[in-house]
Parts: sequence; C-alpha cells; structure tokens
Amino acid sequence: MTYRLLRTALLPGIAQAMFWFLLGSAAALSASTARQTIATAILEEDAEKKIGLINSLIGNADPAIKPLFDAWKEDAIFLYKAEGSATKVPVSVGEEKDTDGRQAATRIDDAQPLKAADGQPLRILTADYDSAEHDSAIRTAMKGVLDLLDLASPDRARRIQAIEMLGKSQEAEKLPPLLLVQKNVTDTKVRHALREAIALIQLKDEKPETRTAAAQELGALGSIASQDFLQQFVKDNADQPTVARAGTAALAAIANHVRNVNIVGTGFRGLSKGSILLVAAIGLAITFGLMGVINMAHGELIAVGAYTTYVVQGIFATGVVLQIPTFFGQPITVRLSGMNLSGTALDNYFLLALPLSFLMAALVGLALERSVIRFLYRRPLESLLATWGVSLVLQQLFRLTFGANNVQVYSPSWLSGNWTVSDVIFGWNRVFVIGFAIAIIFGTHLLMTKTPLGLLIRAVMQNRQMAACMGVKTERVNMLTFAFGSGLGGLAGAFISQLGNVGPGLGQDYIVDAFMTVVVGGVGNLVGTVVSALGIGLMDQSLQQILLNPVLGKILVLGMIILFLQWRPAGIFVTKSRSLES
Amino acid sequence: MQRHVSKVELVTASVIALFLVVVFPGLHAAGAVSDFTIKLWGKYLCYGLLAISVDLLWGYTGLLSLGQALFFSLGGYMLGMNLMLMIGEDGQYFKSGNNPSLLPDFMVILGRTELPSFWKPFYNFPFAVAMVVLVPGLLAFLFGFLGFRSRIKGVYFSILTQALTYVAAVFFQNALIMGSNNGFTDFKRILGCDIRASATQRGLYIATALALVLVYAFCRWLTTTKFGLVQRAVRDSETRALFSGYAAANYKLFVFVVASIIGSIGGALYLPQAGILNPTEMMPEKSLEAVVWCAVGGRGTLIGPIIGAIGTNALKSWATRAFPDLWLIILGGLFILIVLFLPKGIFGLLGQARDFFAKRKPEAASATAEPAKP
Amino acid sequence: MTLSRSLKFLALAGAITSTIFTAQAADDTVKVGVLHSLSGTMAISETSLRDVLLFTFDEINAKGGVMGKKIQPVVVDGASNWPLFAEKATQLLEQDKVAVTFGCWTSVSRKSVLPVFEKDKGLLFYPVQYEGEELSPNIFYTAEAVNQQATPAVDYYLAAGKKKFYLLGSDYVYPQTTNLVLLEYLLSKGVPLENIGGGFKKDESGKIISAGKYTPFGHTDYQQIVSEIKQFTAGGKACVISTLNGDTNVPFFKEYAAAGLTAETCPVVSFSISEDEFRGLPAKQLVGQLGCWTYFQSIKSDANKKFIADFQKWLKSSTVPGIVKEGRVTCSPMVLSYNGVYLWKAAVEKAKSFDVEKVVAELEKGISFDGPGGKVTSQKNHHLTKNVFIGETKADGQFKIVKEYKDVFGEPFLKGTFKPKTAAK
Repeated sequence: MTYRLLRTALLPGIAQAMFWFLLGSAAALSASTARQTIATAILEEDAEKKIGLINSLIGNADPAIKPLFDAWKEDAIFLYKAEGSATKVPVSVGEEKDTDGRQAATRIDDAQPLKAADGQPLRILTADYDSAEHDSAIRTAMKGVLDLLDLASPDRARRIQAIEMLGKSQEAEKLPPLLLVQKNVTDTKVRHALREAIALIQLKDEKPETRTAAAQELGALGSIASQDFLQQFVKDNADQPTVARAGTAALAAIANHVRNVNIVGTGFRGLSKGSILLVAAIGLAITFGLMGVINMAHGELIAVGAYTTYVVQGIFATGVVLQIPTFFGQPITVRLSGMNLSGTALDNYFLLALPLSFLMAALVGLALERSVIRFLYRRPLESLLATWGVSLVLQQLFRLTFGANNVQVYSPSWLSGNWTVSDVIFGWNRVFVIGFAIAIIFGTHLLMTKTPLGLLIRAVMQNRQMAACMGVKTERVNMLTFAFGSGLGGLAGAFISQLGNVGPGLGQDYIVDAFMTVVVGGVGNLVGTVVSALGIGLMDQSLQQILLNPVLGKILVLGMIILFLQWRPAGIFVTKSRSLES
Repeated sequence: MQRHVSKVELVTASVIALFLVVVFPGLHAAGAVSDFTIKLWGKYLCYGLLAISVDLLWGYTGLLSLGQALFFSLGGYMLGMNLMLMIGEDGQYFKSGNNPSLLPDFMVILGRTELPSFWKPFYNFPFAVAMVVLVPGLLAFLFGFLGFRSRIKGVYFSILTQALTYVAAVFFQNALIMGSNNGFTDFKRILGCDIRASATQRGLYIATALALVLVYAFCRWLTTTKFGLVQRAVRDSETRALFSGYAAANYKLFVFVVASIIGSIGGALYLPQAGILNPTEMMPEKSLEAVVWCAVGGRGTLIGPIIGAIGTNALKSWATRAFPDLWLIILGGLFILIVLFLPKGIFGLLGQARDFFAKRKPEAASATAEPAKP
Repeated sequence: MTLSRSLKFLALAGAITSTIFTAQAADDTVKVGVLHSLSGTMAISETSLRDVLLFTFDEINAKGGVMGKKIQPVVVDGASNWPLFAEKATQLLEQDKVAVTFGCWTSVSRKSVLPVFEKDKGLLFYPVQYEGEELSPNIFYTAEAVNQQATPAVDYYLAAGKKKFYLLGSDYVYPQTTNLVLLEYLLSKGVPLENIGGGFKKDESGKIISAGKYTPFGHTDYQQIVSEIKQFTAGGKACVISTLNGDTNVPFFKEYAAAGLTAETCPVVSFSISEDEFRGLPAKQLVGQLGCWTYFQSIKSDANKKFIADFQKWLKSSTVPGIVKEGRVTCSPMVLSYNGVYLWKAAVEKAKSFDVEKVVAELEKGISFDGPGGKVTSQKNHHLTKNVFIGETKADGQFKIVKEYKDVFGEPFLKGTFKPKTAAK
C-alpha cells in the first residue's frame, strides 16, 4: 500500500480497520494461544521455524508475550525434563527459594504450575536444567514483535523506541499504523518521534514534493538519526537538483543542531568530570591543604571506600568471600553470607554503602594518622615518602584480600538510566555525582564554619602552638581532621565504583589528578579546590570535544596545569601568610 | 659528610673504583663472572647513577624531585633512537622484503614508509650521545628556569616534577613514532659491535662503572667547593641564603640541570644492557623508587644512595622470586620504617655511630653537617 | 666451570644471585620455565595462566611425564616490569637451563624477552591474542592471530547486516595495528570510508597511519566518546569494534549502558574480554555484547567438560600459595597455554629429544592436539590452525556461542593483504 493511495482513496475508518487487521491478523489466524506458540518456539530446533513462530505473534495483543520474552532473554526460562523422559517442558520459576534452593515452576504453555506424575506441584533446582537458548537473530525477532506491540504501549520510552524502529525500516507499509497513532497522540516527545519516523519513511515516497517536504521536516526536527538516510537521499536524488538541495539543506540544519547538542553536552560532561575530580580531591584538600600532610595513600583510601561498597553489595546479594592474608602460610578465608535480595531491595545497598565507606576509610585514615603520620607533621616531604610506602602496602593487601582481578560493582537501577533532552544525554549517575559533590561541599563548609569542631580545626591549622596554648587538644583535632579527610576519600570511592572499575590499582588512577586539583586551586582553600576542579573538568571535556583525541586532550590539560603552576605556584587562590618559610 | 676529602676516604674510594672498573670486568674476561652477572651489575650501577642524581637534588639541595626517572628514560630514548636505526638489515621486515628503507620495525607495522625527519640525525652515534646530554639538560633548564623563578620549592616542586614525568609517560605511551607502549627493544649493534656479545657487554659494563666513578668524583668535588656550601645553605634555609646575597634560584637551577644530565647518562647506559626501554620506566612510581634507594642508603652522602640502589634492586631480584606476593609489602614497609626510624638511612646510621664515638673527642664533632630540615 | 672458578663466582655474586639457583636438574626430571607477572598491574590476567600451567604439568606428570621425565616447573615473576622479564628470561635460560618456557601476556613483555630467547636458543610458547607482524624462530605463538579474532568478528557483523563500524581502542601497538588491518579488511569488503567511525590520522603524504578512536591507559572518562558513538549509531545498523584493554572496559561499558545503548541497538565486540576479565565487569550491563576467541568455557564438548572439571578439582586441592580458589573460570589464553604444553610434549616425544632445534622442527612439520577448544594444529609459520568462536555474553559471565569458524589458519602477516574493493556506486 502506498501513501498516495492512502491519502486520496482511503477513508479513515477503513484505515482503522486496516490497522487493527494488521495488528490482529496473526492472532486471528492462529488457533493456539500466545503462550502455546512461545512454548513451541522455545522447543523448536530449527532456527528459521523458531523465528517464524515468534514472528507469528506480531500484532498479538496478549499481555503474556512481553514478560515471557523478557524472561527468555534473561535466561529465566528453563527446560524441565522429568526423570527418564525425553520430553522437555519449558517452565518459568518463582522468585522465592526454599531451603534447598528449589523454586516453584510454572509451565509456559498453559501458565499452570508444573506437576509431577502424581499431580503434586513440583519445585525444581534451576541449576539442574538448561535455560532456553536465544541469540541475536531470535532477540531481534522478539524485538520486532514487541515493537509493534509497543506502538500502543503505555510506557513512553518503549513506545518511542518502537516508533523509531519503524521509521528506520523506511518501509512504506509501516506508514499507515504510524499515521493512525499520530492522530490520538498528545505527548510531545512521542509526537516528535512520530514526525521523524513518518518523514523518514516518506523520504522514499514516489512524489518528489513529498520527498522534499520530508527532508525539510527532518531538517527542522534536527533529526540526528536521519543523517545517514539523508546522505543516501541526496545521492539517490542527484538527478533532481531541487529535491537533493532540500536534503543538503536538511543535513546542514542537522549538523548545526549536532553542534549545539555537543556544546551543551560538553558543558554537562565537564561539570560531571569536575565533580568527580572534586569529590576525589576534597578529602585531599583537607589533609593536604589544611593539615599540610602529603598523603600519597589518599588514592588507596578512595579504594577502601570502593571496596566497602563492593562488600556491602555482596552482603545484600549472594555473599562475598575475602581472603585475609596471613603473610606466611595459607590465608584465612572469610565467607560473608548474603541476604539474597534482588530488585529494589538490592538497589538500596548503595544507600548503606555510602555511610559505611565513609566510616571505613575514616577508620583506616585514623589508623594511618596514629601509626605513621603523627610523627611526621614537621617533615612534610617525609610524610610524602612514608605514605607512599603505605600506599604500596595497601595496594598489595587489596590484591591479596580481594584478588588481583577487578571486582564487580553493580549500579542500582536508579543510577543507570538517563534523561535525554533534545539529544543531550544526562546520565543519572552523572547528575547524581554533581548533586553529591554539591552536598559534600556544602556539608564540609558547614562543618568548618558552623560547628565547634570546625572552629578548632581552623584554629589548629592556623597556628598549632597558639591553639595548644589556648588549651586545644591539638593531637585530637589532628586525628579527627585526618579521619574526616580520609572519610571523604572513602565517599569518593563509593561513587567512583559506580562509574569505573574497582581494583587494587584504583587509587593510582586518581591520585595525580587529585593532587593537581588541590594545588591548582591553592593549598588551604576549599573554594579554590572547587573552582579548579570544575575548571579542569570543563577544560578536559572541551579539549576532548574539539580535538576528538582523548590522548592529546589529556596531555594538553596536564601540560597547561604544569605551566600554570610554574607561573603561579600558589594556585588560583593564594593563602596569604606573613610567615617567610611557609 | 665532611667537607674535605680525607685520605682514608680517598683510598677506600679508589680501591672500590679499581675493583668496579678493572677487577670485576677482568674476572668476567677470565670467565669467573657470568654474562648474566655482569649485565645485572651493569644495570645496578646505572641505577646507582640515577640514585646520585636524586641525592644531589634531595640530599644536598633539599629539592625532592619525583621526576628523575623521566631524565633517566629520556637519556635511554636518545641513545635508543640510534640503536633502533642500527638494527638495519637484521630487522624482521627487511628480511621479509617489506622494509626497503630500513625503518625500525614498529614504524613498518604502523604503515610508515619514510623515516620522520627528526629521526634522521640519529644515524650518527656522536649526535645521539650529544642528545643524551642536551635534551634532558634543556628540559631541566626550561622547567627549572620557569619554576625556580617563581620560587617553587618543597612539596610543590615534588608534585610538579611528578606531574611532569606523568605527562611525559602518557605522551610516550601514546607516541607511536617513539614505539608507543612497546618502546624500543631487540637492539642488535652498538657502534658496530654485536650487542649480545660477551665482550660488548663487558665494554658496556666498564663504561658504566667508569661513568659512575667519574660522576661520583665530580659530585664529591662539587660538594666540597664553596658551591656545595651554598647548596646546603639553600637546603637548610633558602630565605637566609637569599638574604645573604646568594641567588638561590640560580644555584638550584644549576644543580637541577646537572642532576638531570647525570640521570640521563645513567639511562643511556642502562638501555643497551637492559635491552628494552619503554614508557613504564618514566611512570611516577619509578622515580619514587629511586627516592627509596636514596632514603635507604642515606641521603646527602652520595655513597649511601649507590649502596641503596644496588641493595634494594638486589633485594627486588630475590624477593620477586622468593615472595612474589609480598614484594610490594616488603618495599612499602621498608620505606615506612626507614622514614620513621632511620631518616638518615643505613649509611647515616654509620655516620651517627661515628659521631657518637667522635663526641668523646669534642673538637671533631663540629665538622659534621646539620641534618636536613626541608 | 671448574671448581676454583665456581668458588670465585660464588664469592663475587653470591649475595645477589647464586643462592637462588641451587637445584641441579635430577636425571628423571625436565625443567620447564613459567614466566608470567604474578605482581603488578598485569598480575590480574597472568596469574591465571600460571595456575593453568601448573595444573597441566601435574596432569602430565601423573601420567608419567614427558618421555619418562617428570616436569619440574621453574616459576618466575616478571612483576609487570618489562626489563625484569628479560632478566628473568636470561635466568631461566642461562642458569636454570629450562627445556622450554611458557609465558608472557603483553606484546611488550614478549618483545622484551625475544632477543634473549634468540640469543640463548630457547623456546617460548606465547598464548595471548596479539597484533601479529612478528615471527621469531624461537617463539611458538599458540595465540590468536588477527585473522583468528578480528576479521571473523567483522565477517559476523557483515552477515548480520551491519553497515557502520566504529573502531575504538587503547592507544598502543596492538589496537593500532589491528585497526589498520581491519580498515583494509572493511574496505576490501566494500564498506565505504565514511561508514568507518572513530577518525583517521594521515601522514604527510595523505596515507592513513591510524584508524579509530584511541584512549590513554587507565582512561576513566568515556562520556564524550559514548556520546559520539550514540550520534554515530543513531541511524541504526552500526556496531563498535573495541580493542580497549582490560581495565578501561569497565568505565566504557558503564557509560555505554547509562547512555541507553544496548547490544540490540549497537553491539560491541571486544577482543580483550574473556571469561576471566569478565569477572570484574558489570555483566548485567553487557548482556548480548560479543566476544571472539578460539575457546569459550561454554563449549559443549566432552574434552572441554573434562578439562574444566579436572582444573576445578586441581584448584581445590592446590597448595600453591596465594592461589584463588573461588569463582574461577577458564578462558582462551588459559586453554592456549594448556594446548601449548601438550603440543610441546608431543613434539618432544616425536623428536625423541628435548633439543630446541629438533622440537621446533617437529612442530613446524605440523602436530595436532585435541584440546578443550577442538583440534589445534601447529603450522610452519609458528602459529596454530584452530577453530574460532563468536560468543554473546550472558548475565552469568559466560559466552553463548553464536558462530563457529572451523580450522582457521593463523596468519601473522596480514597488513597489505586485503585490497580495497572499488565501491560500486
């Protein structure tokens, strides 16, 4: 069916009927239910027939299809085989496990509980059975089914995805359902997607004026997805200059849109990169900036936070195994059993991990201060060397305890999506880290300026002897300040575990950057650290965007920092001091 | 350390020098020392040069440079460019007929057909040697000139030099034209001699030992001069030195350049003996390791760091085999203990013991230098 | 070495070296070197290879050893330090006098020991996928050559109807070389230059000397690149070919998932993620992404099942200090190490000698071994003919095999062998 025919000849009512026919045909033709079809498809050996069976579900509005397909994709459908029997029965299993780890099973074909020969419901061990297989061809077929189903989905994201798929197929027969859907849609985003999809299909229309209009529409929409199609379009229409010109103009408009998207995107990415630098450096700004201790093991304190997150996650999920090194002889293996949570309950591990990672890092920092650093307050260069030794020891301890491999830290679902506003991606993890950085800065500021402890800290840091004379227990204040700075490092670790890898070398990835950030900001000045972190982040991302070369970008940023410090060794904000030998 | 070279010291140093330069290689020529051992010691002595370069800065001028490994590697790279070009017809690709213009193999892999112009002069060995001195010297001069003029000191100097070596490591790691992460390796000839031949290795060892002895003598002399005195004055209080009319920045700059060249010579000698050089050699932790050698041996003593370099590396050779899992803990722990309990290092301990006995004769004590207060 | 000379030697170098090398090989054993990093950054990957090698030696010894001699492993630590690799290789060859060495992971470590092996006429088996462009008479490459990994993956993509290819890698020699080969290969398959993403670098004459996007080692920020890929893939039918190395995969895939990109919209094939690396990756976010190796743990053959079961059993009873016993998997480099040992054993038994030259001659004639990944055969060019598998990752960290290419000949020199197809307009 062509679009022209539809426009001129068909009444809306007929189109409506067509649409429902299109959606409903398969269901009407097939006598078996959707569940039965899926069960057969799972057992089907022949790949083509398998895909044929799946495709036969196109347009079937049975609500069971979606969850079953999802379960299939996630390897949650198992092929039960009764003992001694060769027939396989596809089943899904319930969430709850009994003490033997057995789960209740439901047959795929009739949604009834799986029964033994005597009619009793069976509970099965999933490990005993194979899960239903699938590959990309099968998943693509499933996706095709779901896409059409999703055209009417109440979930907006799903709906938009389905519309985009149809548009990119550029198949004329997909046009009528889209046009129909367009009539009763008010949601602006869905409308936007529809316009784009319709225009994409119309790029292949027979009428030159429709094609021209479609190209213009895509240009006006700033449709990034259509760039490849428009390029092809310009080639295909080379014999019709006016049409081709519309395509070229549209491409220029889209390129302009992409430029704007990249500018805004770069700004956001710079902000988020800056926030990570800030979170990693703020602890250092306190221990180095205020106390004058060069803590080369700060990176390892970040790693302590990240590993704490890993352990907490393990306890919420299926448990975690630690090998406590004994140095000579076999290590002690500690097994922390898990609570086997899943879904939202598991996601909440992160909320607990945050305070715990602060606490753990603070404790490690406290131990470090008591055992090494307190002897070195007057010898800052030597504190650098001793803490480097500590950092080596800690790295190796991580390696022995958690293994040399990186460990897996899952992001909670509320940290792993994104908002896309006019093609600019705002990752939730990124938004969260920006918010978190603001919260930490605000909290630290309050602590420093509004609490008695903050007052003591500032007093001791300004003049240790004088504060001691006034009766301040400087030892205690040192201890607490260092523990606080270390704890902030731990918090950074909890965050970095959501963005990057967690392994024994984690700290080394951040330590040089963190020191740079503090020094550029001006030692002893928290505001300076904020400004320099954001500045470095923005510069880094802008250079990456402009040069399109991350390697060169990184070298340039570091080079510029070095030159800047050669020029202004005290950083952006100089702390004024009357002391000659500061 | 005493300002004047005593007779005892002169004799001891001469004996050790004679042993290193003449006796040890002599034993090798006679077959009593294996190729493996002479190569190993050659590398240790190169590390000794690196340690001296750290000590000259840290022990005598109070500048803790965390970037000396950069100059060490740069020296290696400069000579390495010559050695890479000298591979010539022994290269993999020439043999298979894909490299008519005799490029280093890694360039052929990346599709180059012509030698980049800045590589060309390195066909000339004397030019490469000149570059070993000039390039690191110039870099140190520029960096020091800008830095010392704005009065960078203390931890800032450390952090900046660390950043410098870090940038350089990132740069070289990604500089495909300099062999990228794989660096330079598989050398065949140096000055026309087969680099794997026993005699060549001995020659390289002798050159290294000689360089170490000469550098040591030079530094020892330098520290006995008035220059050395000002150097230490700057270390102990830069402001006071400044107020006494000494241009501290110029002194520091000079020492920085000299130290960097010493490191660079060490690196150039290291390259043909180690047989490989790549950017991991300039990562910040390598520089920090050199600082460990210094601290272990005893900074501000010149001889201490050499002993530290050899001792720590020997320990490493042994420990990475005997306790691979614990090596980092041993190294880190050693460092913590030295800093906390032996700030003057092992050699310093000897000095302290001597002072302890010397105190019974009060007139001798005044000659010893003050401990460092950075 | 005469007695007096030996004494001198001990006196001089004693403190440093001689204490380590005391054992003289007894008559009924043969010394075999294991040269991997057990500490430092590469320990992550290489420790597994040491484990599987020790397992293989025990397995062979239990069945009577090689030509009646028990294998006595000499394990040394390269400590992720490339000059140290050369030093340790010298030790193995000159002082321990090992008959053969199994080792190295990174190309740079292999290149560092290559001159040593050539000088001392040793024999090294190298088990990890690499860029090719090398052929030493003293090294046997059981590793995947580029045409046993990268080009089959492209074939798979082309068959799946992909039109646009984004090349991404860490900035060092392996990705750069692989991507240059891939560029030639894609052009030879008629993919136009503008459909290859990541950017190009040209030299003065306009010749492309670098294709694809490269990130530094330890790069942690993939925001910009992912947004670029998202724009690149917006039109559909696109895929990513990744030669990122181990650590950087985590931030990349986390960012990739966060941007809403999935295996369905734009799949990624990674050449350096095997089951072992997978343990540190967020598996759930990677479901459906592709891997390409000559072995997967999920291969359903009896040989593989037995191999896995035996290895796990060995692990449980192992007394090697610091060995990880929990959650261990098997992966391609491990199996290629395992195959290497058996190929060597077969060659020795055929040659009836441990002499390197004779063993190599036998290997060059072609020796087959039925390993866990199917049959492998040694070739004259020191590589192996073996099966290539393409797998999709699953949530449990395993690969589901979706395609198998039988008996692929290992070809180390690929550059310049693919001629661009003149694009039909």
